[in-house]
Amino acid sequence: MTNLLNEDIRNQVREAFNSLQEPVQVLFFGSKEQCEYCDDTLKLVEEVTSLSDKLNLQVFDMEANAAVADRYNVSMTPGLVIAGEAEDGPIDYGIRYAGIPSGHEFSSLIQDLILVSGRDSGLNQQTRDFLAKLEEPVHLQVFVTPT
Amino acid sequence: MLAHQMAMESTMVQAEMVEATEFPDLSNQYHIMGVPDTVINHGKAKMVGAAPEGQLLGEIMKVLKN
Repeated sequence: MTNLLNEDIRNQVREAFNSLQEPVQVLFFGSKEQCEYCDDTLKLVEEVTSLSDKLNLQVFDMEANAAVADRYNVSMTPGLVIAGEAEDGPIDYGIRYAGIPSGHEFSSLIQDLILVSGRDSGLNQQTRDFLAKLEEPVHLQVFVTPT
Repeated sequence: MLAHQMAMESTMVQAEMVEATEFPDLSNQYHIMGVPDTVINHGKAKMVGAAPEGQLLGEIMKVLKN
């Protein structure tokens, strides 16, 4: 079975994962209906999560696991939730991916795994103060294209 | 990704990276042309380009005030 990630990338990612601290849970949501990139995305996250013991992958199907998809507010596939892993279950930080994280977004994925494992946003104090005062939900969707 | 960092910081924030070419209907709905394009609260505001923290906060603030 050929890998999606070449040896060079795998080594670089393994190196980056040296800074992983707390365990991270990746929840993958796929669909058997019309999901062109589901297979590749699943393969990608399988390969990435295999590069560290601190990363775990759970695979869900939108139809068979509709309740889970609902709980995590996932409607687009392939969908990823990057959560903290704790004893009593995943810590949902509201971090989502819709579509295959390839190209530039691949490094975003790696950064996010490291971010979540550090259990800290890394934002400056002013931003933290602003966010702490939020009284209404904020939903951000960042549209990107594979480069 | 900055939006994901904000989601990490606050339980009120959810942030999703969306691969535009895989979701053309959604992309059309929000008139996505240049990327990255950050859509706030289902189209209440939109920011094209990789904006720094302050700028994204400013846009969020504007959306919440209206």
